[in-house]
Amino acid sequence: MSTLSHSGGLPPLDLSRWSKVPGLLIGAGVVLCLIGALLNLKQFGYSWLLAFMFYLSLVLGSAFLVMMHHLFDASWSVGIRRFCEHLACLAFPWMAILFLPIALLAPKIYPWMSLDPAQDHDLAAKWPLFTKPGFYLAAVLCFGAWALFTSRLRYWSLKQDEDGAARCTYKLRFHSSWGIAAFAFTLTLAAIMWMKALQHQWFSTMYGVYYFAGSVWVALATAYAIAMILDRQGLIRDIMGAEQYYFLGSLMFAFTVFSAYIHFSQYFVIWNANMPEETFWYVLREKGSWFAVGLVLIFGHFLVPFLALLRINVKLMFKFMLPLCAWIGLMQYVDLSFNIMPVLHPNGVALQWVWLDAGCLALMGGVLAKVFVRDLNRHPAYPVKDPRLAEAMGLYPEVPKAMAEEELTQTGKLSGAQPHSRGGGR
Amino acid sequence: MSTAAIKVSAPPPELERIPLVENQRSPGWITDKVAGVIEGKTPVWWWCAFIPSLMLVTMLVAMILYLVTTGVGVWGLNHPVMWGWAIINFVWWIGIGHAGTLISAVLFLLRQRWRTSINRAAEAMTIFAVMCAGIYPVIHVGRVWFAWWLFPLPNSNSIWPQFRSPLMWDVFAVSTYFTVSLMFWYVGLIPDLAILRDRSTTKARQFIYGLFALGWTGSNRHWSNYEKAYLILAGLATPLVLSVHSTVSLDFSVSQLPGWHTTIFPPYFVAGAIYSGFGMVLTLMVPLRKMLKLEEIVTMRHIDLMCKVTLATGSIVGYAYIMEYFIAWYSGNPYERFTFWSRLFGKYWYGGWAMLVFNAVVPQVFWSKKVRHNLVAVFIVSILANIGMWFERFVIVVGSLYQDFVPGNWGYYKPTWVDVCTFLGTFGLFFTMFLLFIRFLPLIATSEVKGVTPQADPHHPLGGAKGKEVLHHAG
Repeated sequence: MSTLSHSGGLPPLDLSRWSKVPGLLIGAGVVLCLIGALLNLKQFGYSWLLAFMFYLSLVLGSAFLVMMHHLFDASWSVGIRRFCEHLACLAFPWMAILFLPIALLAPKIYPWMSLDPAQDHDLAAKWPLFTKPGFYLAAVLCFGAWALFTSRLRYWSLKQDEDGAARCTYKLRFHSSWGIAAFAFTLTLAAIMWMKALQHQWFSTMYGVYYFAGSVWVALATAYAIAMILDRQGLIRDIMGAEQYYFLGSLMFAFTVFSAYIHFSQYFVIWNANMPEETFWYVLREKGSWFAVGLVLIFGHFLVPFLALLRINVKLMFKFMLPLCAWIGLMQYVDLSFNIMPVLHPNGVALQWVWLDAGCLALMGGVLAKVFVRDLNRHPAYPVKDPRLAEAMGLYPEVPKAMAEEELTQTGKLSGAQPHSRGGGR
Repeated sequence: MSTAAIKVSAPPPELERIPLVENQRSPGWITDKVAGVIEGKTPVWWWCAFIPSLMLVTMLVAMILYLVTTGVGVWGLNHPVMWGWAIINFVWWIGIGHAGTLISAVLFLLRQRWRTSINRAAEAMTIFAVMCAGIYPVIHVGRVWFAWWLFPLPNSNSIWPQFRSPLMWDVFAVSTYFTVSLMFWYVGLIPDLAILRDRSTTKARQFIYGLFALGWTGSNRHWSNYEKAYLILAGLATPLVLSVHSTVSLDFSVSQLPGWHTTIFPPYFVAGAIYSGFGMVLTLMVPLRKMLKLEEIVTMRHIDLMCKVTLATGSIVGYAYIMEYFIAWYSGNPYERFTFWSRLFGKYWYGGWAMLVFNAVVPQVFWSKKVRHNLVAVFIVSILANIGMWFERFVIVVGSLYQDFVPGNWGYYKPTWVDVCTFLGTFGLFFTMFLLFIRFLPLIATSEVKGVTPQADPHHPLGGAKGKEVLHHAG
């Protein structure tokens, strides 16, 4: 057994003054949401849906990172696993509770709910999915699946903390294996039923992948920011080395490109075929100031983070990465807004309702932050018995030398090298 | 949350990783093993594989000559299926060629050290597969002697390529991919060619290997330049992994034909290409590691990881299939619905089921570690993956063309003996090239494999690390 104490570095941040922020966000959010709901219930429904889909993308993206860790038996992601589990567990019951206003206001939000299927072929073709029972059953299915795999993943992760038995690792892999399939289908179903269904006539096989790409992108940025803070507080300092931050930054870069690739492919295929039943979705989003938002997405969603993350050393510069993580969050929100809001405001961005969008975002953010911090305080900040913990810290097991004498002589010359500072996982 | 000192234990024995080179083999042993494949006597099995392959190449040449002198009518192409086996085989071979660049470039950038034992063979496979693929569009144009018009070169008739055609995009995407893959492969070979030069026992060998080793001495400066070049080439090659098969997918998806026009095609084609590429790497490496006694370098861990990538990409392909069927229903478009119904219950029902079962269902057996560690099972699944991916292209090309919007326009397609012999001939070309490669060039990236051994890691006990970096077993 080897024991390490924390290495030095910057002093921990004084987070006490931030502890009231979630409460303040909730207070301000409640006031703004109430005023908004009284003034314009439909607008409130859309603003709420936008904030909900934003946080849902973060929660589901985090669940994906946890499952990938187990499925690929990774070591670099040990340091971020525990708080990603907490983020994923926000899916139930908290996101389900936050879904209630959408469930209640669905007839106001989704135009198809007010249409007669006998008069609308596109709607009739989607029977029984596009019926009210179908809509609510889809929601139950999604939240049921998310509740099951996120809770199982955290349950066995905390069990693993007790004894580090291999059985826990196998259980985590098992729940990740069925969970990843359930994740793919429920994420797609949610994106279709809650976002694409705003214009039920439109269809695109790419839409689930589109939402997935943004979800993992924003989850990576959030994971990077949280890891930085926990690292500074000394909670995961020995597990998060340069290599771990490099991997997080590289994946952020990869998903920047992947998101752009998905956005472009969808647009390009539709533009090239030029079929009216598909192009109307983009035509609407080229009207008024939505055209400018489209340009913001091309440059802000892709080009800015792409250029910013190109260099290796940038991925390790916290002062640079923190604003970039915030920027990625903002761009994900703008992208979802580009998907949702043109249905309600076809002539351009409704700047007069930005305060309501902010209110919904603040209220949900406050609630989720409170729950997340509570969970973070309850449990160890990292999985203390993860089988890849040593590897993540750059420690190697003692190996009995089984080489032939002449072979050992060849390697003996390598022993004088300097040890590395921190990290070292694969 | 706790800030107490971290106590770290070694993982439970059943979760310990298999090393990337087994039995703590030394750098010298690795060199001897890899170079021994080339320096040793040509094995009988090599001749048994090479001679039939060469005969198939002869058949390919004969088929191409017959086609060129007679016309594309010797193929089964006819109205309404004007794209038949030629395009199917083109897309299939291009797909096979995807694993090489993924393993060599993408996994290199992601620092996946397990790539080192298989990247060289996969890169070679890529180049040979792209060569096989490249034959089809060229001979498909009919008047092969005008194929150079595909390039934007000035000519006396002022005829310029039609840049709005996705087939033109293919020309540039595939030729770029081939060029970069070839450069990447060659740059990686340089240090190993120098090893072969230095071990040569004949003047001729020494001269040829020395010529291509470009004066490599292994100095720090050489290694520094080499690493930089390799990184830049990896950066250049990575977008190509996405772009090539995305461009190929646009051949179909920018049209308005049911079964072709769907937005998920670009990533779905890329995932399918990686799936079939890894399928072919497994098909080749599973028997080769045994025949060449390379089990300690291409370990069960490598096989296991390749199976996982195959499973992941097969599942992505499965997701895309489900989305295609779902959106065909969701869209309410009767033509889309009919096309997808026909895939399973139409005249070519066997193709539709083969692609679904072999690509989406069969790879699910890799969830089991027992299957991933059973080489016979792995080999069979890898073959089925390639059969399934061929049928996928068959279903897309023929399945969508033979029954389009107007029933009066429907027809039936079947290949001729020339189609079949040409396809078999490309197998001959592929295996001839690959067999020559394993006989004359190092199948394993020797210098890279040495770099991932524990002995080369100064932080590892076998590399000389002592003290706090060495984790003692709890027991």
